[in-house]
Amino acid sequence: MSLGKILGVRAVSVVVTVLLCIGAEVLLKQLIRDDYYLRLFFLAGVYVTLSVSLNLINGITGQFSIGHAAFYMVGAYAAGLSSNALFAKQPLDMPAYLVVSTVIGAAAAAVAGLIVGLPSLRLKGDYLAVVTLGFGEILRITMQNQEQWGGSYGYNLDNKYRSIALVFMLAILCIAVCRNLLKSVHGLPFLAVREDEVAAQAMGINLTKTKVVAFVVGAAFAGAAGALFAHETQFINPDLFKMDVSFLILTMVVLGGTGSITGSTIAAVCLFMIPEMGRIAKFQVSQAMLVSLLVVGIGAMVYAVRYVQNRVHLEKGPQAMAFAGAVFVPLTLATVVGKILERFTILGDKVYESADIRLMILAVVLLVVMLIRPTGLLGHHEFSWDGVRRLFKGRASHQEAA
Amino acid sequence: MDSVLHLVAGFTLDFSSLPQQLVNGLVIGAIYALIALGYTMVYGVLRLINFAHGEVFMLGAYTALLTSYTMGFTPELVKKGVMQGHPLTSSPFNLVILILASMAVCAVIGAVIEFLAYRPMRNQSRIAALITAIGVSLFLQYGGQLFLPANPPPSVVQEVNPFQGVINHSFRKAVIAQDGSVTSPAIELTVTQGKVIMLVTVVVLMGLLTYLVMYTRAGRAMRAASHDFDSASLMGVNVNRVVTFTFMLGSALAGAGAMMLATFEGTPLQPFYGLLPGVKAFVAAVLGGIGNIPGAVLGGIVMGLAETLVVWLGFSQYKDAVAFVILIFVLLLKPGGLLGSDKVEKV
Repeated sequence: MSLGKILGVRAVSVVVTVLLCIGAEVLLKQLIRDDYYLRLFFLAGVYVTLSVSLNLINGITGQFSIGHAAFYMVGAYAAGLSSNALFAKQPLDMPAYLVVSTVIGAAAAAVAGLIVGLPSLRLKGDYLAVVTLGFGEILRITMQNQEQWGGSYGYNLDNKYRSIALVFMLAILCIAVCRNLLKSVHGLPFLAVREDEVAAQAMGINLTKTKVVAFVVGAAFAGAAGALFAHETQFINPDLFKMDVSFLILTMVVLGGTGSITGSTIAAVCLFMIPEMGRIAKFQVSQAMLVSLLVVGIGAMVYAVRYVQNRVHLEKGPQAMAFAGAVFVPLTLATVVGKILERFTILGDKVYESADIRLMILAVVLLVVMLIRPTGLLGHHEFSWDGVRRLFKGRASHQEAA
Repeated sequence: MDSVLHLVAGFTLDFSSLPQQLVNGLVIGAIYALIALGYTMVYGVLRLINFAHGEVFMLGAYTALLTSYTMGFTPELVKKGVMQGHPLTSSPFNLVILILASMAVCAVIGAVIEFLAYRPMRNQSRIAALITAIGVSLFLQYGGQLFLPANPPPSVVQEVNPFQGVINHSFRKAVIAQDGSVTSPAIELTVTQGKVIMLVTVVVLMGLLTYLVMYTRAGRAMRAASHDFDSASLMGVNVNRVVTFTFMLGSALAGAGAMMLATFEGTPLQPFYGLLPGVKAFVAAVLGGIGNIPGAVLGGIVMGLAETLVVWLGFSQYKDAVAFVILIFVLLLKPGGLLGSDKVEKV
C-alpha cells in the first residue's frame, strides 16, 4: 500500500470511529434515561483508558508503576483549574472547551509523568513500585494542602459536561495508540525492555528514552481521563485519587493479563462493574450465608480448581467440564451449608444488603481470579479476528500461542 | 523567648519542645520498626511485599479490644466509671494477657493468610503475588467493615492499662542573651509510663527476635531460605515450614505493636486502622533495605523521628508525605536502601 492509501484508510477509520462514538452517545441517551446508568457508561470509558494506559507502562514496558492515580489526579485538577479560568464565563453548547481542557489535563499529567519518570528510572522492580506509590501520595497530600484549590475539602468546577462520546473516543484512541505501538517497529523497544533490560541495552535500545516515553504517554492518557472525569463529577477532591484507585487500576491490568490490551479493557469494565452491580442488584444475604460462602465456598473452590489444574490431566473438553464443576459444586455446597446454618441461627439473624458487601465481593473476585488464573484472564493474548476464526474452526490451539 | 529561634519572619522553632518531640518520635518509630520487621522478613524469604500486613496489624488491635471486652472491661462499665478502683484495673497482668492474645491471634492469622492465599502463588509471577496481597488486604478491610465493631470507644482498651502515670523531667540549659545576661530556661520532658513500657517491650521483642534468628535452628533455616530459597530446600530445609514460621513471627510482632498502640496511645479503632501504619512501616522497611532486619529497625526509627520533626517544624499536614520524600531521596542516592546492598546486574 502506498503512503497516501494508508493515510486515507487511517482518515476514514478515524472519521468512522468519531461518528460511531457520537452515534453511541445519542443512542445511549435515547435508550437510557437514567442518569446513573449513563454515568456508568461514562466511567467504563474512563477506567478503560486508565487501565490501558497503565498497561503501557506496566504490562508492555514492564516498569512496575503503582502510582497511576496521581496522574489521573493531576489531569483532573489541571483541567478543572484551566476550565474554570478560561471557560467559566462562556458556557458553550459544543464540547469544544472540554477538548481544550482535556488536552491541558493530558499535558499537565505528561509533565508529571516526565518528572516522576526521569529520576525513578534508575530503580527497578519493587523499588520502582514503592517510589511511584510515594510520588503519588506526595502529590495527593500536597494537593490536600493547597487551600486556594480547595484543599482537602475539594474543588468545584463551574462547568459540568458529560460527554460519553468523548470518553469513548479517548478510550479508543488509547487502545489504538497502544495497539499500533505494539504492531509497529516503534513498539518493539518497549517489549524488549520488558523482557530483559540489560539485553535490550546491549542491542542498542535507549533504555531511558523508552521508559520515559512509556511513562509520559501513559500519564498523558490518565490525565486526559482525569480531565473528563472532573468535568463529569463537577467536584473533585484529593480523596478521589487515593492509593486504592491506583491499586484498582493495577488490578485491572494484572487481572486482564499484563501486556494484553484486550485483557485490560475487559478487566476494566468487569472490575469496575462488580461493585456497581452490588448497588444495582439489591439482594440480601444473611450473615450465616455470607460466612458459609466465604469460608466453605471460597476455600473449597480454590482447592478444587487447583486440583483440577495440577493433578487431573484431561483433554480440553473434559478439563473445561471439570473446571466448571470445580467452581459450581463448592458454591452450591456452600449455599446448602449456609441454608442449614440459617436454620440454626448460630451466627445471629443479621442480614446484609448487597450494597454493604459490594466491596467485599470485589475483593473476593479479585482473590479467586488470582488464585485460579494467576496470569490474568487473557494472559499475553490479544483478541484478533483470526483467533476467533480459529476458535470456531476448532484448530489446535498451539498455533494461536506464540 | 530565649529558647525560640526566629529563622524567617513568621517561622519560629521552639527548641524547648525538641527533646519532647524526639522522645515521641523514637517511640512511634519503634512501633514502625516492629511492624516493618514483618514486611522485611517476609520479603527476605519470599521476595513478596505482603500488603496485608497492615491489616494483620489492624486485627491485632481489634484482638486487644475484644480480649479486654472478654476480660470484663465492657463499654458500659467504662462509661459508668466503675472501672476506677476495680480490682481488674490495677493488675499489670492485663497487659501481658492482652499482648499475648494479640500476638497469638495475629500469628495464626498470618499463617492462615500465607497458607490460603500466598502459597498457591509461590511459583507465579511476582506481580500476581502482589495483586493477591492487595486482594487479601482489601478482603480484610471490607470484611472488617462488616464483622468488626466500627469506632468502638477506644477508652475500653486504655482502661486495661494500669500505668497511666506521667514521668516529668525538667532540665536547665544556660542561654546567653545578647546583652550578656545568663538565663537558664527549663526544658520540660514529659513521658507517659506507657511510652516507656512500649519502648522497653519493643527492645525486648527485638532482642528475642535477634536471638531467634541468629542462634536457633529455626532462625538458621530462615536465614538459609532468605539467602537462597531453592538451594535451602535442596539442603533439607523444610521451606514451607520456614515460610509459615516467618509469617507467624512477623505477624506476632505486628500484633504486639498494634496492642501497644491501642492500649497506650488510644487511637480510635476502625477497619482501616492498619492502612497508614502499614504503609509507613513498609516504607521504613524499604528505607532500611528491604530484607534486612537491622535495616528495618533503623528505617522505622528514622521514619518516626522524621515524622515528629516535621510536626515540630510546623508542617503537620505534610506528616504523612514526609515518609515518602525521605524514601525517594534515599532510594535515588542509594537504590538498595540504607543498609541494603546495591546489586550489580551481571549478564
